[in-house]
Amino acid sequence: MSIEVLDPTYGGGAAAFALAPRLGTLKGKTVGVISNGKRGTRPYFAALERMLLKEGAARVVLHTKSNYSAPADAHIMAEVPEWDAAFVGIGD
Amino acid sequence: MMPLSSERYTVADMMAAQEFFHSRNWTDGLPIVPPTAEAVQACLDWAMLPPDHLVGVEPVRARQITAEKLAINSVMAGCLPMHFPLVVTAFTAMLQEPFLLHGATASTGGCAILTIINGPCRQELGMSGTFNALGSSDRATTVIGRSIRLALGNLLDVRPGDVDRSTLGHPGKISYCVAEDEEDSPWLPLAEERGVPKHASAVTVMSAGAPRQIMNEWTTDPAQILDTFVAEIKACMRHYSIYAGNYAVIFPPQLRTHFAAAGWSKADIRNYVYENAVVHRRDWADCGKGAVVGSRGDTEYRALSEPDDLLVVAAGGPAGGFGAVIPPWFGPKSKACTVAVGACVDCEI
Repeated sequence: MSIEVLDPTYGGGAAAFALAPRLGTLKGKTVGVISNGKRGTRPYFAALERMLLKEGAARVVLHTKSNYSAPADAHIMAEVPEWDAAFVGIGD
Repeated sequence: MMPLSSERYTVADMMAAQEFFHSRNWTDGLPIVPPTAEAVQACLDWAMLPPDHLVGVEPVRARQITAEKLAINSVMAGCLPMHFPLVVTAFTAMLQEPFLLHGATASTGGCAILTIINGPCRQELGMSGTFNALGSSDRATTVIGRSIRLALGNLLDVRPGDVDRSTLGHPGKISYCVAEDEEDSPWLPLAEERGVPKHASAVTVMSAGAPRQIMNEWTTDPAQILDTFVAEIKACMRHYSIYAGNYAVIFPPQLRTHFAAAGWSKADIRNYVYENAVVHRRDWADCGKGAVVGSRGDTEYRALSEPDDLLVVAAGGPAGGFGAVIPPWFGPKSKACTVAVGACVDCEI
């Protein structure tokens, strides 16, 4: 005898975020970096900043979250619209 | 009656239902009870909740957790309708902002949601806080704990390699639920100590590592018994994480007897552990972590930011001087939360 079952998943659609359009060039751009603050991020993002500036970025803005397991702080998010691109995401 | 809104699928039979759910990664690998509309509606009816009742919103991903979806996952886990209100309460607690559910369930640290049950529901549901208290001691705690894990996976994508980035995890991720042994304890129940009215049922959730078992059967002195617990906490601080957070400590009857005889309350235990569970950063040097001691070797670290961060729980079988220390996921990032069954956490009084 067949059984009718219900879908247990969220089914609420895709996440609210979409990637920003890719930049055509870094020249003259402001790039933000949001670090989770873990120990290994310091040399990693320092190297990234050097690389971005070498590629022509006008400015690299580095922010560190106050809690690496929580979303970025409000004051950081308030600054994001001023950036042309941002590095965010998981990392350990 | 409001209709259920979840998508419906038809499967050939019970075995086909298993393969249908497993193949979609909707299970934990164990068999599930097919969530039929009748079974799900029975859960909602028992809890007197409409399907679209908003249990809470996971704040990081802004996902709305509804009673219908929790009921589906609870049926899958093996819950009877009478178990369902406990799952709702557990999620209500987990969705409180201080619990930091996303961080706790996504972390490489690999914690699970320890769920501690207090109040008359324990006896009504046949829960046992005695033999094998921390591992499938009874049907109710097992299926309630499993419901939490299945719902995390299906509603918040907390599956291995997806949102769950745990390096190791631990067996408590299958089910990690314990009922306090209130009847055979000289102490106040955990929930009552955390502000829930006497005789109310309640759920406390904690982002927790695996239990670390201790044993001391060679003294009746409460301070000496606690020294064993403290030594385990200090070992955890040295070997895992040095930062203060919620710790849970489990006391079986054989050890509780000695505290009762000496007149020690849970508050006395909390104060003793707060005062004594202290390490220094230099202690890392002799367990392979000398590289991060730096110039701060004399810095003192307490296991607890305050005595109330210790969750003291009476549980365990009648014989054996075994206890357990259950460490926090990672320091103070996630705060243990307690919610009474049926309580509205958003209502203004």
